[in-house]
Amino acid sequence: MTISGKHLAILAGIYAILAPIPLWLGEYFIHVLNISFYYVVMAASWNLIAGYTGQFSLAHHAFAAMGGYTSALLVIHFNIPILLGIPLGGLLAGAVGFFLGTLCLKMRALYLGLATWAFAESFRITLSMGYKLTRGDLGLSTPTLLDTGQAFHYYYVFLLLAIISLYIMYRIICSRIGYYMRSIRDDEEAALSMGVNTVKWKRFVFVISSFFAGIAGAFYGHYIGLLSPVSVDFNEMAILIIMVITGGLRTFAGPIIGAVFIELLSEVLREYGEIRMVLFALMVIILMRVNRDGIVGLGRNVLPKIKTALMRNGVGPR
Amino acid sequence: MIDSLLLSQYLIAGIVIGIMYALMAIGITFIYSIMKMINWSMGEFYMMGSYLQYFLVVYFLGANLWFLGIPLSMAVVFVAGMIIQRYLLRPMFVGEMERKDEYATVVTVSLMVFFRNLAVVLAGPNQFAPPDYAGPTHIGPLPVSGNRFVALIGTLVILGLFYLIVKKTWVGKALRGSAQNRVGIQTAGVNVLRVDQIAFGIGVSLAAAAGALLAPIFLVWPENGAIATMKGFEIIVIGGLGSIPGSLLAGLLLGIVESLGSILISPSFRDVYGFILVLGILVVRPTGLFGERQRVA
Repeated sequence: MTISGKHLAILAGIYAILAPIPLWLGEYFIHVLNISFYYVVMAASWNLIAGYTGQFSLAHHAFAAMGGYTSALLVIHFNIPILLGIPLGGLLAGAVGFFLGTLCLKMRALYLGLATWAFAESFRITLSMGYKLTRGDLGLSTPTLLDTGQAFHYYYVFLLLAIISLYIMYRIICSRIGYYMRSIRDDEEAALSMGVNTVKWKRFVFVISSFFAGIAGAFYGHYIGLLSPVSVDFNEMAILIIMVITGGLRTFAGPIIGAVFIELLSEVLREYGEIRMVLFALMVIILMRVNRDGIVGLGRNVLPKIKTALMRNGVGPR
Repeated sequence: MIDSLLLSQYLIAGIVIGIMYALMAIGITFIYSIMKMINWSMGEFYMMGSYLQYFLVVYFLGANLWFLGIPLSMAVVFVAGMIIQRYLLRPMFVGEMERKDEYATVVTVSLMVFFRNLAVVLAGPNQFAPPDYAGPTHIGPLPVSGNRFVALIGTLVILGLFYLIVKKTWVGKALRGSAQNRVGIQTAGVNVLRVDQIAFGIGVSLAAAAGALLAPIFLVWPENGAIATMKGFEIIVIGGLGSIPGSLLAGLLLGIVESLGSILISPSFRDVYGFILVLGILVVRPTGLFGERQRVA
């Protein structure tokens, strides 16, 4: 994959726009932004597999935890540098994604959901049972990536992580592979008969999205400094689904908007406690009934109407 | 090494817990066989059943009339399920909807989040324990806890009623018919949308029954449905989606495997044995023991 000068300029521009934001924010809100960048990567990589390829996997959160635990355990026990541990965590998550993808190759939608869910649950139980290695439900305290505990410095780590991962995903979606993925989603049999190697590309998507989840999870682990089996709870997956659906499944911008929107909103409404989740779930149910393309779809539907309304008031014929 | 009395005691315990797991699984598989969807919020209907039972027993009926609470909570959850099906899941079958599986998964996962957090908002995150249903008793020479014995008998009664409804009544005939062929049953003048609604109601009320019966054993709190869902899904994967005998058999199998695994290997890995069984079955027979092969379109 080569990167053209124009793309590089755009990416640098995005970075330049987002880089000064923490100067106006307090420490706590910078932390919130860091977490939302983590969720952006998670939601976008899940959208790659569920939205673009139609493989509704329910094990994405497990891959994040896998990356986090792998990196943390390697760093603790073998003293390797953290920056080596993080890609190793991602690679292990990708390798496990390969096996899970292979296991799920022949499965139709419902069994795929069940199998990936069973995988995530067994991973969670293994984490809490293997307390000699993972410290079980007590949680594993991980060495942090930077010496400072300040969220300000991590902001740039997570910003770069989000920009680079999103760019790679964007390139995949726009390439031939992206067309293969969408053809598998829309009609697997037809794709197969048109010469798309469905086995290969389904596996590929499983590997690549698990890899991104693993990397994101590893960064998250080395930022927060604590990993626990709670992060493999099904609630975590439900939050990812809520984010992606709110933003817009099957769109590139959807998961990004959804993740930032939900994360920021849940911080703003923190004092209301559990009611937030009730409202989010209700919002998703209503969105599914009314407008299945989320915020992005809403924009697509509403913007042309505003445009025509403006035209009517302006020059256009009455 | 291990004496036969202890072994048979564990075997009985496994069978008792297995039949109760099966109740949950039959609810899931029954909804699947008619609506061809998986209800991920099944555990939340279990939770609803256990809360209703708790509040009925503690505030209205009193500890001696606990057995009245079970049909009452089943009825309430039945109605709630019918309403939810009417407004959220029926649109799947009206008009042309693309990606029904995806819609059903997203909506039921959201329902799960909704009800779990609603329970925390309304009743707090605390655990409640309803009064015991019965004192300790015996099955033959083997001692067994009264609550478990009551739950076993209750489950058997409910499964018997379920069997009678499905096999002997007109509604049951319509239910079986739409499980076999949704178009065919419409030519016979059956309103399939109504059948879906009844099936969903019956399915979730089975979960509520499990919740109400198991309330004194597994207690009542907002996330108590998670374990129940876990066992239910394990069972339907082992037994095969859409097969009710498969669910019953797989429930027994899971109960026995967990129980014998805890005594023969190690009790702390109890929840892992089920998953090993599930993943093993998925590798060997991707559609479960009794699952029908799905037709490739």
